[in-house]
Amino acid sequence: MTHPAGLASTALVAPQLLLIPGLPLAAFTILIFAGRRLGRMSAWVAVAALAGAAGVSWGLSPTIWAGQQLAFSWPWLTAIDPRWALGFAVDGLSWVMLAVVTSIGTLIATYSIGYMRADPRFSRFFAYLSLFCASMLTLVLADNFVLLYAGWELVGLCSYLLISFWFEKPSAAEAGRKAFITTRIGDTGLLLAILLLSLVPGGLQFSRLSGLHHILPGADRTLISLLIFLGAAGKSAQVPLHVWLPDAMEGPAPVSALIHAATMVAAGIYLVARTLPLFTPQSLHVVLTVGLLTHLLAGTIALTQTDVKRVLAYSTISQLGLMTSALGLGSLRGASALAMFHLVTHACFKALLFLAAGSVIHATHEQDLSRLGGLRRAMPWTAALFLLASLAMSGVFPLSGFWSKDAILLEAWHVHEALFWLLLGGAAITAAYIFRLYLRCFEGPAAAHDASHAHESPFIMVAPMAVLGVAAAVIGWLAGSPGTHHPLLHVLGVTERHEGLDIPVLVLSTLAACSGIGLAWVAGFHRRNVLPAPLRPLGHRLYALAANKYYVDEFYARWIVQPFLAAAERLAVFDQRVIDATVDGVGRLGTTIGELKERFDRLVVDRLVNAAAETARGLGMFLRRLQTGIVHQYLLVVVVAVVVLSLALRR
Amino acid sequence: MPVQPLLLLSHALFSLGVYGILTRRNAVGLLLAVELILNAAALNFVLFGRVFAHVQAQAFALFIIALAACEAVVGLAIILALSRHAKTVLADQADLLRG
Repeated sequence: MTHPAGLASTALVAPQLLLIPGLPLAAFTILIFAGRRLGRMSAWVAVAALAGAAGVSWGLSPTIWAGQQLAFSWPWLTAIDPRWALGFAVDGLSWVMLAVVTSIGTLIATYSIGYMRADPRFSRFFAYLSLFCASMLTLVLADNFVLLYAGWELVGLCSYLLISFWFEKPSAAEAGRKAFITTRIGDTGLLLAILLLSLVPGGLQFSRLSGLHHILPGADRTLISLLIFLGAAGKSAQVPLHVWLPDAMEGPAPVSALIHAATMVAAGIYLVARTLPLFTPQSLHVVLTVGLLTHLLAGTIALTQTDVKRVLAYSTISQLGLMTSALGLGSLRGASALAMFHLVTHACFKALLFLAAGSVIHATHEQDLSRLGGLRRAMPWTAALFLLASLAMSGVFPLSGFWSKDAILLEAWHVHEALFWLLLGGAAITAAYIFRLYLRCFEGPAAAHDASHAHESPFIMVAPMAVLGVAAAVIGWLAGSPGTHHPLLHVLGVTERHEGLDIPVLVLSTLAACSGIGLAWVAGFHRRNVLPAPLRPLGHRLYALAANKYYVDEFYARWIVQPFLAAAERLAVFDQRVIDATVDGVGRLGTTIGELKERFDRLVVDRLVNAAAETARGLGMFLRRLQTGIVHQYLLVVVVAVVVLSLALRR
Repeated sequence: MPVQPLLLLSHALFSLGVYGILTRRNAVGLLLAVELILNAAALNFVLFGRVFAHVQAQAFALFIIALAACEAVVGLAIILALSRHAKTVLADQADLLRG
């Protein structure tokens, strides 16, 4: 078997890779055309397709864990270059993403059966969900930039469709548009990077990226990697392109869980991890800075928000910032593996948090924190699972978040101590905002109006949450605990063993989590101001700053949107005054010319024609007199003519 | 063979015919005048056929007689139709073809 250019020659040919995005795509095709007829059944089509894709993905695991790679490619655009091929490839990195997307996708699709029960566009929702999964899986499976970019744009489209799924709400339509336009800014960066890479032979194939630093000078690689990172920042909602993700919460809760917490927003992290060989130390500094900034800014904003899903959205941005920071720590010690490890654990507990929040919204039709409370009695399962996910996210031993966060903290300690302390602060903030959310939703006195009719969600919603809860609890310990055999890091290509459980780091991070939870208990739940009196004005000001999301939206509105609109208005005036006037003038000129021509026709051409006609008529009037109809005259003419002719022709 | 008197005779017949054509108003008279002209021509054919010993000339004379008969039939039929249609047999009153 010959391998097309750009594939690692060790890869096994695996046609079943086509099934992974193919099954959800087939589900989408069925649902978009026959969804209305299928009715309730349409959900099961999507769930079955996703479960099938998950089955195929998990079926690959023995090969992947044995260190093998799988690939399947087909010739493409051979007219340009016969060696061109488009294909799918699976290595450890993409397999982890595959497992996450298909497994969590299946669970969330199952949950949606309950959540979207009463929606009039029930089957449409599952069609979009299937299309999203097909696109996301294409993105993950792609072995080159071109296919990845196709998937990248498709998930953006699906994100847009699902955010504005309830497009009757103006805010939802607005949020969809904002998400689409904001991520497009990043996508433009990625597209530029791809175009630059296409100038390099083999530059579009992922498997040849690590060889590129022999060909490309450092400055070029910095430029390209920063452009790639711009795309990643747009998708993964990093500062300064993070503004779309909180608004994206207008979509249904399962969408927030799947797309805006577990998978699509992680595509940026995956992209950077995939293209890490291109990143130079300079661009990694940018990545690290952006990641840290995002982690801390979004964390502080999450502390102040009052909308359940918005808190979770800022928490997602903050956690993505943590992953970006991990990527920025440098690739020497497998930083990308650490980021991916946190991506996996985060996907589990954050999807669970969103589903639990969706369960609350489903039960109470309320997502404002100030009007929620005491739901634990009415919704014991949801409360317990939310608490479990919160503990996991806070990094409490031995839940999943602990392992992935501590691995990053440990790595940061090795790179620079200051980074360690910053990330530790971030961890404390994380614990504080998530427990503020938990305590005010589920504990305390029941809020006035929702306690009476709040109820536990149906089994079909609780069951996927429970599965995710188990995953959120054990996945860190199973998949990557330091000191044990760590299969997940092994799959991701980390050959070096970590030092094992680092006791000081363990103690410090537990302390950070506890202090965050304590802060949430005192300040978030009991509303006690813990600041000493002299610092209170400053505290209030900082709180207002964070509550207003650091005025980023206002800044964009003031300095980008408004100038843009003003320019558009001025251009509209220009259109009206100049362009329209020119067009009108041309039109009027045409009319004038037409009128002149009409006059010429009437006065000259018509007269010529009429003159010809008149001549013919006059001639005819004259000649008709010869035709008297009297036989004698004709005969006379004949006789005279004969006489004259015979005289004239006489010899 | 007295050529000259016979030529004079045929010229006289021809001239009488032409005169008749030009002067008669009655269509039947016109037809008669035409017969005179045709017979003048037939006489000439016979005369010159004898002078130059051409048999074909006599054949032409027979043709002319047959043609004259046909012409008389068609002409009389036209005149009959004309008299029924226009209630006249006067040639100068039938001017349907006037321009």
